[in-house]
Amino acid sequence: MRAPDEIIHQPIRLRIMAALTAPGCDTQGLEFARLKKLTGATDGNLGAHIDHLTRAGYVEATKAFVARRPRTTVKATASGRAAFDRHVAFLKEIIADAD
Amino acid sequence: MALSREQAGEELAAIDDVVRRVKQSRIYRVSGEIAMMWGVMQFVQYGVFALAQSRFGWSWLVVDAIGIVLTALLLRRAGMGAAAGPGRALAAFALFYGFGFVWSGLIGHYGPHEMSVFWHTLFLFGYCVAGLWFGVGFFAIGLTLTALILAVYIFAGAAFYPLIALVTGCGYILCGYWMRRA
Repeated sequence: MRAPDEIIHQPIRLRIMAALTAPGCDTQGLEFARLKKLTGATDGNLGAHIDHLTRAGYVEATKAFVARRPRTTVKATASGRAAFDRHVAFLKEIIADAD
Repeated sequence: MALSREQAGEELAAIDDVVRRVKQSRIYRVSGEIAMMWGVMQFVQYGVFALAQSRFGWSWLVVDAIGIVLTALLLRRAGMGAAAGPGRALAAFALFYGFGFVWSGLIGHYGPHEMSVFWHTLFLFGYCVAGLWFGVGFFAIGLTLTALILAVYIFAGAAFYPLIALVTGCGYILCGYWMRRA
């Protein structure tokens, strides 16, 4: 039997990956502040989960200075998008099997 | 690790919720930029009016045409291109202008103040309707600016043009800024 992706399965990380793979964000990525609003996580919590996803190779974070203020942009990698697609397929399979 | 049907359903619902919020956030962002641009256009339009009243009748057409082109460019830049963006936006503009011309040019006999209020409130009515699909922010902007414009129309008297420029210009810019950050 297939298993869920243990990295993505965690609720905040699931929301992060869902946001980063949503249409329009899949190529441009999202700013940290916007991701925080979308996931409802705190700064520290979100940062820790992004680190976790970065270590897994699912996302990449780039830091830049815009108008002298630091701005972090997070983007899903190709392997992150593939892993998320597999996880969604797995979830849909469970629903389909139960029907 | 096994997941129950309920857990899988909850995860899929969470994903749908995030995707919906991302979509709304993108719509708010580009709409905010468009509103801010139209705010600047209001100042340009009424600035031209103040400088050359006799040519005002044509100047607003030019300013509106520039605004429509910029709107299409902003939509395109936001990636709301081919499928749902400029084509539909231009069709919406054409419908509003068509409706507006029929009423203001053929049926209604509006004075300059009424004409100005009519066109502003017509497009703000569009904001209110858009709010039914794209979020309460559009509705709030449409209703607030319409109320302010009507207040200017009723109470401003001789100060109508400077006040309508201030209310629409600043109104669109502030509302657009708020939408961009929402």
